[in-house]
Amino acid sequence: MTQAAFVVLALAGACFAYRLSRGPSLADRVIGLNGFLLVGMGALAVHAAHTGIGSFLPALVALALVGPISNGMIARFIERLGG
Amino acid sequence: MIGELLTLIGSILVLISALGVVRFADPLARMHALAKASTLGLLLILVGAAINLSDMNDITSVALAGILHILTSPPASNMVSRAIYLERDATHTNDVIDEGAVTLARYRAGGSGSSA
Repeated sequence: MTQAAFVVLALAGACFAYRLSRGPSLADRVIGLNGFLLVGMGALAVHAAHTGIGSFLPALVALALVGPISNGMIARFIERLGG
Repeated sequence: MIGELLTLIGSILVLISALGVVRFADPLARMHALAKASTLGLLLILVGAAINLSDMNDITSVALAGILHILTSPPASNMVSRAIYLERDATHTNDVIDEGAVTLARYRAGGSGSSA
C-alpha cells in the first residue's frame, strides 16, 4: 500500500512537472512549483509512516514554513510586472 | 494498517488536484484545484503518518507541520490568485460577475485601495 502511495505521488509529480515546464504564464509555473512542494512533503510523510523513523520530519516543518513565503514573493513580483 | 490506508487516500487526492492543474483551462481554476484538494490530501497523509509513528516527538512534528500548512497556505494562494487577477494578459473566461473591477480600476489608477 505504501508503494501504491509512492506511485500515485510520482504520477502527481509528473502532472505538476508538465504544468511547470509548459505553463503559459508565470503564475502557472508558480502553481506547478507549489504542487512539487506538496508532493515532496507528502513523500516525506509517507516515508516516515512506512518506516516509522521520524528523522526527516523537521524538514517537513521547514517546507511548510518556507514554501508559501516563496509563493507570496513571486506573487508580488508578478504584480509589479502587470500593474 | 489504517495509517497506510490514509496515506494512500491522501496521495490519491493529491493526484486528483494534479489532474485538475493539468486539465483546467484558466490559471484561476488551476489555483482553485491546487489550493483546496491538495491541502485535504496532504492533511490526510499527515494524519496517516501520525497514526503510524510511535514517538511523541515525531507526532508533534507532524502536527506542527499540518498546523503551519493550514495557517500559511491560504494567504499564499490568495496572493497568487490576486496576482493572476491583476495581471493584464490573464484571460478571465470563467468569470461571470467581475466583482473586483472597482478595486482593479483603483489599483490601476495608483490609489490607496491596494496594499501594493
